[in-house]
Amino acid sequence: MAVAPTDFRRRSPVYRELEALGAEFAEVNGSAAAISCGREVAAETEQARTLGLCDLSALRRGGFKGWRTSEWLREEGVEVDDESNRAYPQTDGSLIARLSPGEVLILGDLSGASAILEKLMAAWNMAAGEGTYPVPRADTNCCFGVTGRFAGAMFAKLCGVDLRPEKFANRLVAQTSIARLNGIVIRADLGETLSYTLLTDSASASYMWGCLIDAADEFAGAPVGLDALRKLAER
Amino acid sequence: MSGAYRLPGPAGLLIDRETPVDFRFEGVRYAAFAGDTVASALAAHGVRTLSRSFKYHRPRGILSMAGHDANTLVTAGYMVNARAEKVVVSAGLEVRAQNYVGSLERDWAALLGRLGRFLPVGFYYKAFYSPKFLWPYWERLIRNLAGLGRVDLETPQGYFDKEYLFHDLIVVGGGPAGLSAALRAAKAGAEVVLVDENPVLGGSLNYARFGAEEGRAAKMREKLVAEVEAQANIRVMTSTFCQGWFIDNWFPLVRGNRLYKLRTKGAVVATGSYEQAIVFRNNDLPGVMFGSAAQRLIKLYGVKPGERAVVATAADDGYGVALDLLEAGVEVACVVDLRADPPETERTRALTHRHVPILVNATIREAVPGPQGKNVSGARIAKITEEGRSTAETDRFNCDLIAMVGGYHPQMSLLTQAGGRARYDPEGAIFRVDDLPESVVAAGSVNGSFALDAVIEEGSVAGWKAAKAIGLEAGRKPIEKADRKAPAPDYPWPIFPHPGGKDFVDFDEDLEVKDVLNAIAEGYEHIELQKRFSTLGMGPSQGRHSHLPAARLNARGRGALLDEAAITTLRWPISQIKIGHLAGRIFEPVRTTAIHHRHIERGAKMMVAGPWLRPEYYGPPATRTENIRKEVLNVRNNVGVIDVSTLGGLEVQGPDAAEFMNRMYTFAYLKQPIGRSRYVMMTDLGGVVADDGVTARFHKDHYYVTATTSGADAVYQTMLWYNAQWRLKVNVINVTASHAALNIAGPKSREVLAKVCGDIDLSKEAYPYMDVREGHIADIPARLLRIGFVGELGYEIHVPSGEGEALWDALFEAGAEFGIMPFGIEAQRLLRLEKGHIIISQDTDGLTTPQEADMTWAIAKKKPFYVGRQSVDIQAAKPLKRKLIGFELANEKEPAPLECHLTVRGEEIVGRVTSIGHSPTLGKTIGLAYVAPDQAEPGQLFEIKIEKGRIVKGRVVKLPFYDPDGARQEL
Amino acid sequence: MKIMVCPLNGPRNISEFIYGGEVKAHPDRGSDAEWADYVFFEENAAGVVREWWYHAPTAYWFIAERNTVTEEIIRTYDAKELFKERVDFAPPPERGDG
Repeated sequence: MAVAPTDFRRRSPVYRELEALGAEFAEVNGSAAAISCGREVAAETEQARTLGLCDLSALRRGGFKGWRTSEWLREEGVEVDDESNRAYPQTDGSLIARLSPGEVLILGDLSGASAILEKLMAAWNMAAGEGTYPVPRADTNCCFGVTGRFAGAMFAKLCGVDLRPEKFANRLVAQTSIARLNGIVIRADLGETLSYTLLTDSASASYMWGCLIDAADEFAGAPVGLDALRKLAER
Repeated sequence: MSGAYRLPGPAGLLIDRETPVDFRFEGVRYAAFAGDTVASALAAHGVRTLSRSFKYHRPRGILSMAGHDANTLVTAGYMVNARAEKVVVSAGLEVRAQNYVGSLERDWAALLGRLGRFLPVGFYYKAFYSPKFLWPYWERLIRNLAGLGRVDLETPQGYFDKEYLFHDLIVVGGGPAGLSAALRAAKAGAEVVLVDENPVLGGSLNYARFGAEEGRAAKMREKLVAEVEAQANIRVMTSTFCQGWFIDNWFPLVRGNRLYKLRTKGAVVATGSYEQAIVFRNNDLPGVMFGSAAQRLIKLYGVKPGERAVVATAADDGYGVALDLLEAGVEVACVVDLRADPPETERTRALTHRHVPILVNATIREAVPGPQGKNVSGARIAKITEEGRSTAETDRFNCDLIAMVGGYHPQMSLLTQAGGRARYDPEGAIFRVDDLPESVVAAGSVNGSFALDAVIEEGSVAGWKAAKAIGLEAGRKPIEKADRKAPAPDYPWPIFPHPGGKDFVDFDEDLEVKDVLNAIAEGYEHIELQKRFSTLGMGPSQGRHSHLPAARLNARGRGALLDEAAITTLRWPISQIKIGHLAGRIFEPVRTTAIHHRHIERGAKMMVAGPWLRPEYYGPPATRTENIRKEVLNVRNNVGVIDVSTLGGLEVQGPDAAEFMNRMYTFAYLKQPIGRSRYVMMTDLGGVVADDGVTARFHKDHYYVTATTSGADAVYQTMLWYNAQWRLKVNVINVTASHAALNIAGPKSREVLAKVCGDIDLSKEAYPYMDVREGHIADIPARLLRIGFVGELGYEIHVPSGEGEALWDALFEAGAEFGIMPFGIEAQRLLRLEKGHIIISQDTDGLTTPQEADMTWAIAKKKPFYVGRQSVDIQAAKPLKRKLIGFELANEKEPAPLECHLTVRGEEIVGRVTSIGHSPTLGKTIGLAYVAPDQAEPGQLFEIKIEKGRIVKGRVVKLPFYDPDGARQEL
Repeated sequence: MKIMVCPLNGPRNISEFIYGGEVKAHPDRGSDAEWADYVFFEENAAGVVREWWYHAPTAYWFIAERNTVTEEIIRTYDAKELFKERVDFAPPPERGDG
């Protein structure tokens, strides 16, 4: 059933930009996610194979930080390898990125769910979780997907770290400056399609969205909805 | 017709004869071909004068045909100071000449040339500075005459952007050396980017003549380019200019409207060399050009450079030029060879065979101007008697073209920027660069190699060396067989001063031999001083053709050996760069709160606050004061809401959280009760007030702290820095962007909140002032801080930023019946001023101590440590220098001071006004100011110096101005 | 642009970093003169210096050893290598004026 972003208390920081594109929304995690950006899913899926920009802000994400983070995760039955700046896929479809020895970032899958994050948040409290503390990534950061074969070339216009696919393997993480904003870039391919997840300052979401649109123009990149990415992930 | 001087095909590598293009120059239409530049197209029509010189307004035409000089600066469309030799014609392009008075053909300012002796070197500094009051007049006159292009202020903004590039190796220069270097390095496995400023690869292979037979260069070019193109790990970037070398092999490349920021591990510099002029009288006339310029016209554009030529040369290459001219149908009147005993080569033999007169040990003493002093009409040739001197007796040869080959100067900017040292090699009569870092390798004529076989071999070796330097397994060193020195030019002194002058060393600045010598005679001996005094090398061509003769003249002028010749520092950008490349699309992040669009919808005037946009006030600018007044009164009488999402937010958590807070802030936090908030003030190491905010303790191990809008990042950074040293069990998370925060304030705020809050008892008894709660507002999870910056009953509501807009909407819906209104920063400033609350960095500065700001109440004196404590203690033990006080005007009728007006006592400055405004609540002007400590008692008068030095009096008032007992915030 | 190797993130453009001053020992209960020296004076040595640097995108403080003459960055490492123990402060001596 079609919904509008303002039907929900929780809203993406770029919902107005998406509305202006004629996006179609559906509920994900108690807010409206653009499942298409005004075109047929097939067309947007093709778009996403060349260069698609997708607002993932509605998806589940969170994190933990503190000197006992690794131990606590282990106690809760979540194993994350020691190497920082890598993302580790989980059986529930979540991706856990280790940002440093004392910090992880947890991203849910494209359905919007993350069983691991739910479980960890339910288990955590000040006493039990001494030495690790939740990072409110869902609100600190906006989250965008950049997909398709030109995605690496597009990032070269925004970022001084070499993110081209031949140099930046799947599941690598770069914490760097993107269009002069601090951000996290995670390469997380969708099936065969090159794909990056970008998290950055939610208060600068409109600015970053504009930068992405501008940088993508030269490659005929365009916004796509969540359904296009889900299609790519299916294969 | 594309011009009477156009040669038949296939000459013209860069033009497309199938695609005619029309453009206009000085209002006249010209036919050209696609690929033509403005200069080549005009040359094809016999148009020789393209611009006027900077100082004497002498007519100027093609010199290098490579865009290396400033002789052909034109205005092309909106682009001023464009190089006609580089601007490719497009349909309808309007091109205008620059720097003339009247017309290009008859420039009245050219009379200045006759006044040359009254315009000596350094004339700006000497002639016009006394009497001093006349300088502005002279300056205007000089600027009008000397300015180059005129910028059209209506120029539409272009789209310029930037891109990062990453390669193992850059090869700069797509000539024979660069091509072979790129190939060798690529074969060793390097990812190479090959950069060339021209539209096609090949460099000198495209126009120069190696050996006697035509066609050898073209074959070599075809072979090398085909190999390069077949090599998958070479990226070719043509029409791209490498503007400089920066540390760790970082290169700005310019192509079109984009600036590329390239990072590599190493570089091969094969940038080639600049051909040099021969210095003789009138060597700047249109029709006098480099031999390579004539060759470029013929080979690249299919344009015959003249009808009858004199070739003057200091090297064997001049003979190649003469052969090319002959083959293009130009009559060669003679070849003048400066060398006393030039070796016989296949090229000299070929010319002798074609009966071209060859005059050795001779020079052009003077070029003869044609009618109206314009194009060259002949050359006066003289025997060389000794170095730099020739007989006064001359033979005249009529000609409309003088092609000069005066030697070469390496394009070594990248090499010296990379740390190489340029030294003059008197044996080869050329500058060479040594002491290069291992990762930067030079090859080809920039390295002093000119023979084609040697250059190609050297390129290969350079590619191999560079590949090795960046850690690749490069295999065996390529073999070098060719004679590197073979026909290298080595003539030391192609400078022939003429008693009549106009023997130009620097064409950009119209500097003659005597100008350089005079600068030295006046004591500006050091090459860098000589440059600045004479302006030599400071024009658009940046000394490409003047550094070498200037260095030679400098050495001789100082009586030094030529070994000691030196050149000035070669900085970036190496060539012309547009402001757009530097300024275009600079990323400027803007932070907006979750409620941003609601502010806009309510007519907010947004202002920049640190990295954020915030509402200054709501309503039309025309009624600004009234808008703010209404907002203030509505808070005092009803209820208002301000968006304070921009405040910094930090979670301080862990068993040592209380200890950490106690160290970072001046107040006492160990015993702060859970559920209570407390003021925080941070001092820096010097004891200066650095930031403030509020902390709420939600758990014994959890403090939530706010910081000022502009201080948030620095506070976070500072906290992490200290704990990297202290190693306390505490964790700090910056949650600034994750919270939207609204401050709802005013006597009716509780009633509004009560409508949307079900799980917190808001009653005065259950929820007193300074308490904090966690609960839900409009079903949104919220932290509630009952604090009172504006001095009314009020609550700060912190919610997840994703739900901030919904919170705003809910409050306005609930508050409608109570007359709820938003208020902006200006209203908040007035409200807190009425309460005497300070704003850090407005009412404090980089030196303000807690004592001066009257903030010692916020310092816990008993605790062992806080950041800056020892400094605060030291200052506290010293007499106070100034004190922040509240004041009103002694006479309301006098003009009100502004913020930052000085408080004075006689001649002495004692402080400044930090905040001032007309209080809508009190109906009078109130402010905060620093005064001397002995002026700080309520009732005392002090002086404020306002505009135009006028003095008004302020009267000290006890703070706060409004509600001194704080009854209203405790409602 | 200079490259610095962040101990956490690897080689990065220097524009991602913020300089944090020389590494100095924080004097505890020292004289006012020692304190002033700590707050206001830097060695500014020509040669190898030890400095604080901050990688802004990860909010990470670390230590760099750098040669100010050759511009060479010799080594970067986590601050834990130098600051191994928890630091506590004793109360300051009494002053005439509190």
